[in-house]
Amino acid sequence: MSAALSVNPFLRLWSGYLRLVARRPALGQILPFVPLVALWAGVVEAGLFPRAFFPGPVDVVRSFVDLTWKGILPAYLEDSVVRLAVGAAAGILTGIPLGLLVGLNATAHRALWPILLFFQAIGDIAWLPLLIIWFGFGLETMTFVIVYTVLFPIVLNTVLGVRSIPLDMHRAAQSLGAPKWRIVAEVVIPGALPNIITGLRNGLGYGWRALIAAEMIVGTSGVGFMMFDARRAGSVVEILLGMIILGLLWYAVDALILAPLERATGRRWGLVAQ
Amino acid sequence: MKSLSIRNLSKTYFDPYAGKHVTAVQDVSIEVPEGEFVSIVGPSGCGKTTILNMVAGFLPVSGGEIVVDGRAVSGPGPDRGVVFQSHALFPWKTVLENVAFGPKMRGVGPKEREAIARDYLALAGLSHAADRYPNELSGGMQQRVGVVRALANEPAVLLMDEPFASVDAQTRMTLQEELTRIWQERRPTIIFITHDVPEAVFLANRVVVLSKGRVLEEVEIDLPRPRSWETLIEDERFKTLSSRVLQLVRSA
Amino acid sequence: MSAVGNIGAGRSAASERVRAAFSFLLPLFVLLVVWEATVRIFDVHPGIFPGVGPVLRAGAESVANGTLFLHIAASFGRVLTGTTLAILVGVPLGILMGVSPGVSTVLTPLFRFFSVLAGIAWIPIATLWFGYGFGAITFVIFNAVFFVVAYNTLLGVSGIPHALRNAAWSLGADRKTMLFEVLLPGALPNIVTGIRTGLGFAWRGLIAAEMIATNMGLGYMLFLARDFYRTELIVFGMVVIGILWLLIDRLILAPLERRTIERWGLVR
Repeated sequence: MSAALSVNPFLRLWSGYLRLVARRPALGQILPFVPLVALWAGVVEAGLFPRAFFPGPVDVVRSFVDLTWKGILPAYLEDSVVRLAVGAAAGILTGIPLGLLVGLNATAHRALWPILLFFQAIGDIAWLPLLIIWFGFGLETMTFVIVYTVLFPIVLNTVLGVRSIPLDMHRAAQSLGAPKWRIVAEVVIPGALPNIITGLRNGLGYGWRALIAAEMIVGTSGVGFMMFDARRAGSVVEILLGMIILGLLWYAVDALILAPLERATGRRWGLVAQ
Repeated sequence: MKSLSIRNLSKTYFDPYAGKHVTAVQDVSIEVPEGEFVSIVGPSGCGKTTILNMVAGFLPVSGGEIVVDGRAVSGPGPDRGVVFQSHALFPWKTVLENVAFGPKMRGVGPKEREAIARDYLALAGLSHAADRYPNELSGGMQQRVGVVRALANEPAVLLMDEPFASVDAQTRMTLQEELTRIWQERRPTIIFITHDVPEAVFLANRVVVLSKGRVLEEVEIDLPRPRSWETLIEDERFKTLSSRVLQLVRSA
Repeated sequence: MSAVGNIGAGRSAASERVRAAFSFLLPLFVLLVVWEATVRIFDVHPGIFPGVGPVLRAGAESVANGTLFLHIAASFGRVLTGTTLAILVGVPLGILMGVSPGVSTVLTPLFRFFSVLAGIAWIPIATLWFGYGFGAITFVIFNAVFFVVAYNTLLGVSGIPHALRNAAWSLGADRKTMLFEVLLPGALPNIVTGIRTGLGFAWRGLIAAEMIATNMGLGYMLFLARDFYRTELIVFGMVVIGILWLLIDRLILAPLERRTIERWGLVR
């Protein structure tokens, strides 16, 4: 490399980008999509594929406005989000206590651990046929699938977290005079928290996919249903819209719920989750 | 082992975050004759690691030249062995495989390079650890392997970048004594970067004090060898030299 | 704290493994007994939930007439094709992106977005583009594994300490050695984790896609059984799916991950 002090224009541009991104990290997450969307629009405008088969960003935005105006999209979105929230809440409320029990009690661990692994392996979606027979095509089926999906990662990670707390910390709490239940409240739960949140992240990631699948297979509403319904009608635009909305929704869950939780626990304490 | 000349070396680079050019090293010249041990000391940010990275070839130079064994160098090469502060052993290779890596790159056959590696491991008293992974060694042993790996490649000069900075004080003293012993046995040409003044004085024939990217002064270390902490710790000459270098560093 | 069983020093490794397998299987056996007892005591209608006997009979029948193996072969063929393709494309791409910090700054957000969508969300469009059948399902699996593997490879490569790459250069490595002896092994733990996560998504995607878009495979087997209200075949299929995944995950993926991470002491 030469020692010349002149900098080529591309480097200037790049340095400008890096400085901007350093100052506003959010832009670093958004700007890379600009060339991608431009490329997408370019391919569509070039007419390489039939437009009905491969619509462009403008078509997707138009369909977004249209469906929002009609109120279909907001209603479906609400259905999906509520299902996910209810399922996640139920999964958390049963998963953490169960995880604590299995993590703290040797007998419970010996008896339940293989069963937990096995049921996790069966996978949520494989339950669908049986659930349809039990509950029909409805809300119960979907709720069951989501709770089931969210539950296992939380339980398994809680157990992992509880068992990774150093023995010395139990001893320290004991010797400082803490009774058993206080050790659980003050040592075990905070110590396992980073793992619990990792479990929540995995669980929501899987639960999210399960919800989409369930909505496609048994649904009568929701974003997954919208996409599958669009597929039946051959409307690629609405499928793409659904995919983009799913992606954005996950970003929102990540940025508003998961990331702050992780920041507040693991990173703050210097514990590394996972 | 061969000589090393650093002539009018300078380094300016473009900082993309600051959006301007920064000068890290300015017109530095250091001569290291064959078989000499030179320490470079200076406060953090004085440019000593930048110089070493340029000599190693990890960073392009902005001005001046680096001559090893009569040839100007650019880019990393096996003629300059590097010992890193973070030991930089390949975690997925055993100790033996790590040490044999350099000879393997030179195209030495499997049998022969294993013999070379075992030979060098024996030199540092590490034969028993040959089949272990770096992760399974103590910090001191990891650093020993790092030194041996560089030596086993038979470089013209050895570049050491604060190699003992992250081991405990006890081990550090042992490692320093071992390094002087190995130096006396094999007489490699060494540049040793450190911010630890007693370490620099203990090891070197000459100490170069750096300040703000320039050479502040060079101090000859005329202490007799073999050197050991037991005798030097009370030695008046050692104390005088150390405090002189320390004053230079603190004034820097 | 949980008391870990005293491991006798004299016991051989083999008998230790038998013991471990036994203590793993015992609770599952108990579960089987509880299941059968519940069905008998409460006289559960077989259309709601079958007993152990009918499930075993349905299993034996599907083994005997060969349909089970046809379904398993179809599912495995898709998973194998999709996963192999995804690894072959994802790993080199991930390494390419990981080597250059500039490229990864720009591409990381894109890959995060697409790995969020990976798998099931692609089923509608995949079936439109490829029609129902092998192509669409393999695409969904490819997609579930590809983005996760490429993203994890990128993380792995950019996580290799710079000193390691410098060390290899200074010891005389060329580009080829750098790739095979430093970048690939350095990123391997992340790659394996990526494959494990991706396959987890792919396995679910497979079952879902097979329910929707084919006439062969384990997912289809379940869905077909539902049409005839054959709960015993459904339950048998679920057990098969669970066992297959446990085998893949515990016998292949988890040991691979443990070996690389623990022995090398690499922390992700």
